[in-house]
Amino acid sequence: MIPKISLLLSLAVLSLRLTAPGIAQQVCLPSPRLLTMMPMGGQAGTNVEVTISGEYLEDVSELSFSSPKITAKPVLGPDGKMVENKFLITIAPDAPIGVHDARVMSRMGISSARVFSIGSLPEITRIKPNTSLETALALPVNSVCNGVMTNRAVDYYSFQGINGKRIAVDCAALGIDSKLNPVVIIADAKGRDLLVNRTGGALDFTPTADGTYLIKLQSLTFQGGPQQFYRLALQEISGSGPIPRQASTAKVSSFSWPPVGAPAGPVLAETEPNNLPAQAQKITLPCDIGGNFFPAADVDTFEFSARKDEVWWVEVGSERLGLPTDPFVLVQRVTKEGEKETLTDVAELYDIPSPMKVTINGYSYDGPPYNAGSPDVLGKVEIKEDGVYRLEVRDLFGGTRNDPGNHYRLIVRQAAPDFSLVAWAVHMELRNGDRSALSKPIALRGGAGMAFEVVVVRRDGFDDDIELGMEDLPAGVSARGLKIPAGKVQGMMIISAAQNAPRSFGIAKMFGRAQINGASVTRPCRLASMEWPVKDASTEKIPSPRLVADVPISITDAEQASVSIVAAENKVWESKVGETLKIPLKVTWNSEFTGSSLKMKTYGAGFEAVKEFDIPLNAPAAEAVIDLAALKTPPGEFSIAFYGTAVVNYRYNPASIKVAEESQKKAMDDATAQTAEAQRLANEAAAAPPEKKADADNAAKLALEKQKQAEAALAEAGKRLKSATDAAAPVDMTEIFVSEPIRLAIKAAEVANTTPPAPAK
Amino acid sequence: MSIQMRRALSTAVCGVAFLWASAGQAAEPGSPVSFVNDISPILTKAGCNSGSCHAKAGSGQRGFKLSLLGFEPQEDYEHIVKEGRGRRVFPAAPEESLLVLKAANTVPHGGGMRLDPQSEGYRQLVRWIAEGMAFGKDSDPKLTSIDVEPKRMTLPVHSSQQLKVTAHYSDNSTRDVTPLALYEPNDKSMAETDEAGLVRTLDIPGNVAVMVRYQGKVSVSSASIPLGATVENLPPSKNFIDDLIFANLKRIGVPPSPVCDDSTFLRRVSLDIAGRLPTLEETKAFLASPSPDKRDQAIESLLSSSDYADFFANKWTAILKNKRDEASDITANFAFHSWVRDSLLANKPYDEMVRQLLAATGTIVDNPAVAWYKRVKEPNQQMEDVAQLFLGVRMQCAQCHHHPFERWSQWDYYSLTAFFTQVGRKPTSTAGEDLIFHKRGIAQTENKKTRLPVKPAALGTPTLEIPPDDDPRLRLADWMSDKTNPFLAKSLVNRYWKHFFKRGLIEPEDDIRDTNPPTNPELLDALARDFTEHNFDLKSVIRVITQSHTYQLSAMPNEHNAVDRQNFSHYYPRRMQAEVLLDAVNQLTGASSDFGDLPPGTRAISLPDNSYNRSSPFLKVFGRPESSSVCECERVQASSLAQSLHLMNAADVKAKLTMGNGVAESLTKSELPEPEKLQQLYLTAFSRAPTAEELQVAGDSVLKVRTNAQGQPLDPQQSKRMGYEDLLWALINTKEFLFNH
Repeated sequence: MIPKISLLLSLAVLSLRLTAPGIAQQVCLPSPRLLTMMPMGGQAGTNVEVTISGEYLEDVSELSFSSPKITAKPVLGPDGKMVENKFLITIAPDAPIGVHDARVMSRMGISSARVFSIGSLPEITRIKPNTSLETALALPVNSVCNGVMTNRAVDYYSFQGINGKRIAVDCAALGIDSKLNPVVIIADAKGRDLLVNRTGGALDFTPTADGTYLIKLQSLTFQGGPQQFYRLALQEISGSGPIPRQASTAKVSSFSWPPVGAPAGPVLAETEPNNLPAQAQKITLPCDIGGNFFPAADVDTFEFSARKDEVWWVEVGSERLGLPTDPFVLVQRVTKEGEKETLTDVAELYDIPSPMKVTINGYSYDGPPYNAGSPDVLGKVEIKEDGVYRLEVRDLFGGTRNDPGNHYRLIVRQAAPDFSLVAWAVHMELRNGDRSALSKPIALRGGAGMAFEVVVVRRDGFDDDIELGMEDLPAGVSARGLKIPAGKVQGMMIISAAQNAPRSFGIAKMFGRAQINGASVTRPCRLASMEWPVKDASTEKIPSPRLVADVPISITDAEQASVSIVAAENKVWESKVGETLKIPLKVTWNSEFTGSSLKMKTYGAGFEAVKEFDIPLNAPAAEAVIDLAALKTPPGEFSIAFYGTAVVNYRYNPASIKVAEESQKKAMDDATAQTAEAQRLANEAAAAPPEKKADADNAAKLALEKQKQAEAALAEAGKRLKSATDAAAPVDMTEIFVSEPIRLAIKAAEVANTTPPAPAK
Repeated sequence: MSIQMRRALSTAVCGVAFLWASAGQAAEPGSPVSFVNDISPILTKAGCNSGSCHAKAGSGQRGFKLSLLGFEPQEDYEHIVKEGRGRRVFPAAPEESLLVLKAANTVPHGGGMRLDPQSEGYRQLVRWIAEGMAFGKDSDPKLTSIDVEPKRMTLPVHSSQQLKVTAHYSDNSTRDVTPLALYEPNDKSMAETDEAGLVRTLDIPGNVAVMVRYQGKVSVSSASIPLGATVENLPPSKNFIDDLIFANLKRIGVPPSPVCDDSTFLRRVSLDIAGRLPTLEETKAFLASPSPDKRDQAIESLLSSSDYADFFANKWTAILKNKRDEASDITANFAFHSWVRDSLLANKPYDEMVRQLLAATGTIVDNPAVAWYKRVKEPNQQMEDVAQLFLGVRMQCAQCHHHPFERWSQWDYYSLTAFFTQVGRKPTSTAGEDLIFHKRGIAQTENKKTRLPVKPAALGTPTLEIPPDDDPRLRLADWMSDKTNPFLAKSLVNRYWKHFFKRGLIEPEDDIRDTNPPTNPELLDALARDFTEHNFDLKSVIRVITQSHTYQLSAMPNEHNAVDRQNFSHYYPRRMQAEVLLDAVNQLTGASSDFGDLPPGTRAISLPDNSYNRSSPFLKVFGRPESSSVCECERVQASSLAQSLHLMNAADVKAKLTMGNGVAESLTKSELPEPEKLQQLYLTAFSRAPTAEELQVAGDSVLKVRTNAQGQPLDPQQSKRMGYEDLLWALINTKEFLFNH
């Protein structure tokens, strides 16, 4: 049961949405999105009151997290009712330090995720503007400040530095879903810059005198606003090691790291100096080595012996650890003739290519904007002759950089076939700049389907089929994977909600399963999402994608899908190789559409070439025709789904108009009554005898105040009604829709019986 | 036209034409005339193979093509002797050859008469054709060098000196090629030359060099032109700059002006280091300080300020082409500008900055120096920019032919380009922005003319064998940052010298070559040495320059040195550059600028790129560059009528004068005595107190009762405020304000 909260927030949000200028046609029907939280983190073992904001959030009832150690309950006002947008979060003392996903449950279901950070330091929140030296906010050493960057300004903080005491300043922003590209500057008390960092948000500073110092925080391009939030940590540190950094979300590329079975850390450490061939570090294979790309233009050289026909797989993790590196591995055979040494290239190992070709620029239609590959290394070395070999590791970005924090892990192993999976909501061919599909939550309407592309990074020669599946689905939700065939890198996952299903919610799991060396192996499939909805990619920067913590799924009963397409029967559709399979479809229409028909294409490996077919608008049934001969479909079991895009004439939350009308009527009644009462008391006061005059005047004054309040409430109710009416006005939106998956069983064609009939007896 | 008619015409024309070619160096009597050693120089001297004639890019002139200045004799020979089935030469009647008829203008020739039939050059050409047009033999002596005499000379003003040029050949023979050599002074306001090699000095004292060219070889003759005045009472020497400058002034007899007063110094050094006027408080404190080393202290204070980093970042980012072409360039441009600014703030050694820029890898956000590769995409362009910016060498000419004024050949051009051939690029999610990495492989490029592969070699060094795994750009950076590198330090100190003195020791500042010697070579060497000894510390260059008494000389010339333009006998005043002037006007009037995207009040010298020029007529009219060239000359420092009108009448200037809470209003409201207010204004504008006369005139003007359109007196406060506005307007429009002096 989801208690309702006031419409005020939702209407305010809607009015913002509807007044945003210059936005191209919206793609995807509205989905609830949690966009900001303030503060956006807290110290373990404390309670934190947060204020949230977002899009399409009405009737927000719950705030939940990807960690059970973080819980929240609504803040209640003096009247016992929920205070809009406010929750009190309780962070358990043993809550894991790091980033967690937060999301809210709303009328339309579960929202998209926003980072909530848990730290070990006390926290404060910037409340007042601090955009000048005079208004600098005092930040205690060993604390974190949650703030929002001011547009076209610099946020000033002050702290007391002690001569010789090393401190670290770390501004978390891009790694906690913020759009802020932070610049941190330490300045003297007069604001004169002493130390600047514009590329990572962190400064390592040791004051040379006791006194007041300033931290100046700004955006690289001086942009600000609610979406440009930050967590500024200031802490004293000892020793000379790297400064501590706040946790960040995981890049999409990191889904393929670490390899299954690898120990938590490297077994060996590289030993400098090893830049030159003569300094090569002797190793034996297999190996697991940790090293650093330091100093600039560092080369780490290792030497090993190998025998003919050995095959070694080399994997380097560095960029997938969140570092701005581009590892490269060169393996050479060493032969000697007297003192003369000859090196022969055996393998050059560059990047892990993106399994799917990535859109060339984030806005063309030639692929998803997710790069699931990595600049890291994963490749094979085939040994053709017995001998001595050298392996060099370099950072192709490291020629001039001197950052000891840029480390790597090199694993050389014999083949351990395996795979890693990642999925994301499909992008499709979009005709305008709206990229909302890339960040929408799995908040399903009844009868809706949502399609995900699932891609694989295959390891060490594994090349077989990968079946895709989900478990722990909430009631009313089904999911079916369209497998990744042998030799391919992409499959699909279709998540569907039953028509008219009741509200439900759950955290599901996505996985892939394959046979490896005769055993069934199951691997999790991570989910990736853009951090922000993009209304117009031609004017907005494409935000970073990241891995989300888990797979929350909800069904709302507030709306049904615009159109639901299912097979007329829930069964396995059987056919034979070379035949034509006709599948009757049942179509349920819940919205008006533009045009005359829906054009349907087909998902499913080997079925992409099914001839596009039309479903006339409002037709209750249709038929898909699959020419198995033309597709050359072999015998086997398959899953397919039909999909397309169409323009829906959509009305958002028309029910809210009625609520607003009732609210306005009540406000009108209140105002009328209060006006009459005020008039009555004014008349009484005018006629009151002197001894009662003061009391009567007082009563009349109070009544007049109430009248004014009632009039203000009426005006507000009128605005809400207008907002609700405007929001519910029909708008054309492009919707991506997908049918429920359909299972096929294709049998071998019957071989004509050429055996002569048995002679009659 | 018949042969007879041609001859008649030829005779007639020769009778009236005056030509250079009255002389020519004959081939040795008895030895055959060689195209390479004898004819090509004649054609060069006659101008036939100049860029505007038959060496014009493309197809030459009217189908007849020669290589520029005869750098490709083999090709020229083919064109003259063989092209068009040999139609240009006629050995049977050499004087009837088309080549000869055209050169002598016997038949109509667009270039007119280039060879007088009476000249030695003409006779040589005819003889060469008559002898069968020998190209020359492999065994012929090769030109190895030329010498000019005198190499150094001292010439009074309005005097002359004949030069003699001797060519040296591989067989140790020599030849006097004075008539065939080309002559060009590097400062035509100081000396002029004629085609025979006669140098005439004009009336400006100093040092001038005459470049001499002959068949791809160059030499130079330097002339010192003394004024001859008595040089006494030299300021005491603060450092080696003074030693060398004053020694030169003594040598040429130009007495320096005295050292300037404190006000002038503080204003000058603040504008030059920090790009701003000193504040009122700074000025008061400085003028009141009794400290004997307060000038050095002021220099240190400015050098440690972020204003220094802002101002010099403004200088560098313009020539590093931090240009906004698309709105989406904003992140890259801000990041790059900040990288330069922060590097200067941290006083990163110059060689390290250069290394980080030219060998940048990664993404712009992680390593902003990569942004340079976003704007400069091609290896040859990268090489040309690096050479001009950091080495002071202009390599552009050598792409197509041997550099006409330099020793650099096409081989040098392509071998320097080869350092940039292993720059790998990967696309990023931002359109137009690549990720830069070192692409494994052997660095080499193709000489576009010979089609031969060329491996990396730095200027004047042998070819390097760079393993495929090494980023060649790092090897180039190694060479550049070697303390013995003859270019990097010289180029930088010359560029910075010009920043502080208006004129480089070499002009233009990024055209360092043997044929363009410095006006004070010892000083350039000493500055470069000092820079490298300080480990390429940029602040050390500024410190040593600004601490010198040479820098601190008065701008007021004495009776002798007003004509001096290159010996630094007095400070050469110059108009404040656009950004500095705008900030100065704001500072004086209490106004501030509001540039889109940036925090209100951001100073013009802190602007990250050129895009703000569009919205600021002020910056545009005063010549802020568009960051499209590596040459500082893109900044327009010339004066114009538009600038005067802008300062006098433009709406934005007027708004600054009359703004609420501006200086005019606050002075009007202030209860300080009027003379004190006027003192503040003068101290802010000029860093000096007003004279008694100025105080009187300005005070009268401010307090004058003003009337409205109807002639009625205005409210006294309003009248006074207008008085201050008028005074501010007048101060802004003075040369003393507009110029750094």
